[in-house]
Amino acid sequence: MTRTRVPLYGALVLLLLGFLAPLLWALSGSFKPRGDIFGYPPKLVPDPLTLDNYRTLLTDQPFGRWFLMSTVVAVVATTVSVFVCALAGYGFAKFRFAGKRLLFNVMFSSLSIPFAVILVPLFVIVVKTGLGSPWFALIVPWVAPAFGIFMMQQYIVQSIPDSVLEAARIDGASEFGIFRTIVLPLLRPALGALAVWQFLQSYNSFLWPLVLVSDSSQYTLPLGLQTLFVSEQRQYDLVLAGAVLAVLPAVALFVLLRKQLLEGLSTGAVKG
Amino acid sequence: MTTTVAGPSGTARKHNAPGREEHRPRKSWAPYLFISPFYLLYVLFMLIPVGASLWLSLTEWVGLGTPHWVGLRNYRLLATDISFHRALGNTAVFVLVAVCVVVPLALLIAQALNTRGLRVRDMWRTAYFVPIVVSPILVALLFGLIFDRQFGLANAVLRALFGTGGVDWLGDPSMAKVSIALVMLWRWTGYLTVFFLAGLQNVPRELYEAAALDGAGRLRTFATVTLPALKPVTAFVVVTSFICAAQIFEEPYLLTGGGPAESTLSVTMFIYRAAFQRQQFGYAAAAAVVLFVLVFGLSRLFNRLLGIGRAA
Repeated sequence: MTRTRVPLYGALVLLLLGFLAPLLWALSGSFKPRGDIFGYPPKLVPDPLTLDNYRTLLTDQPFGRWFLMSTVVAVVATTVSVFVCALAGYGFAKFRFAGKRLLFNVMFSSLSIPFAVILVPLFVIVVKTGLGSPWFALIVPWVAPAFGIFMMQQYIVQSIPDSVLEAARIDGASEFGIFRTIVLPLLRPALGALAVWQFLQSYNSFLWPLVLVSDSSQYTLPLGLQTLFVSEQRQYDLVLAGAVLAVLPAVALFVLLRKQLLEGLSTGAVKG
Repeated sequence: MTTTVAGPSGTARKHNAPGREEHRPRKSWAPYLFISPFYLLYVLFMLIPVGASLWLSLTEWVGLGTPHWVGLRNYRLLATDISFHRALGNTAVFVLVAVCVVVPLALLIAQALNTRGLRVRDMWRTAYFVPIVVSPILVALLFGLIFDRQFGLANAVLRALFGTGGVDWLGDPSMAKVSIALVMLWRWTGYLTVFFLAGLQNVPRELYEAAALDGAGRLRTFATVTLPALKPVTAFVVVTSFICAAQIFEEPYLLTGGGPAESTLSVTMFIYRAAFQRQQFGYAAAAAVVLFVLVFGLSRLFNRLLGIGRAA
């Protein structure tokens, strides 16, 4: 039994190396002096080990501001989006109404609209209408993902029995009251999953901020690091330290909430 | 059209079972209020921009002043623009890599992770998923380090193993495509694995036992039990990876800048370049409309063929 498992575990370990080794390599590089990052032969453990990259980055660059910008935008976008998705998911899961099939198809088909298609006009609209303030414009395009609605709808169909809702209606609760006091609490696992996913999407988003934000005081993390990388003639030391710092919270968040996220993400797809 | 549920697990049927379907709403406007915030955003940030894209694509506009109507000229120019053809070709290659390499590999890994009695399943699954939560900036830096011609890790490893390692990963047109494909493989495989694994865990054991009783071998069981049961997940994964790969931007933009000689230029990069580096907004919009027609049309076709998204 155990002997036949050797190839399986061997393959899994190789894959593990394949997926994580590049990240370890980045981590190790961020502790190396500039000249050693490309040293030959490659050394996984930095020698000499230096914290200068991090020190210089944190003192010379507005890393904290980038981080704050990214985090606040992601938190606001996530909150709004989770709420909108839960509302719509509930509407589709537990009500029958005229035009439901059509409306659902319209919603679902928006999954197939590439962001690149709306990139140019969205930029023009946002700038022309004076809504170009990053606080508004960075947040808004992310708040209504069809994927999230689909996920919520699937979860509600599977886990919230009609009898609970009926009972509340008989007690005279309002429709929104039922949503707020009964549905939302029961939805908590799915909300958590969607929230983590949305947060990561927004926190890591690159193309839209790249197009939209021109004022360097409003850079998000990916944008700040990208600018630094270009302006430093592709010198890896500072940027590598910054990228490692930027990625740590995302990975930590994911690892902490992995069970919820991984199960929640697949709910929609499995019951198709 | 009834929704196919992956496997007769019963959970999905339970709630419709006791004669009480979805209840009759007391107030007919309630569901519309619940879905209205989405549609408001949908109209403002999806429908209007798509419409605006169509209109802009018929104009010439540098971003200042009023757009100048040119009819179908942008489309005629696109039809003969060699860069756009390259972008379409490259994007097609990336889509094929996603659908024909990444997806099957993810299924294979999921199959391995679904082995009965596997230890620390959660750890494997989590570790393989990590690349997708990593910021694209780090991904670009990382693979810039690894694929460096002289000092990169990839060539150092090749040198140590085979004594030769002069591969010009990012500088040679075909190798650059391979490099981008490798990055896609690294970033997306673990993510898709999660969906397949959830699908596999939903296949009832009895089906496997029945297949074993019939004396079906591993491959037969896979083809007759696993694949049919996985159809909904597979459909979802294929369509999702198709849509993602068709609009790939970050990997080529950050890693190769679309080069060398536009060998990794994607359609989204083409649009970005036309609009924001060359101020050809109308031209960019026309390219966007072409992308929209291709992606929307093909994914609707896949959806119809594979039957997903009919849950309502």
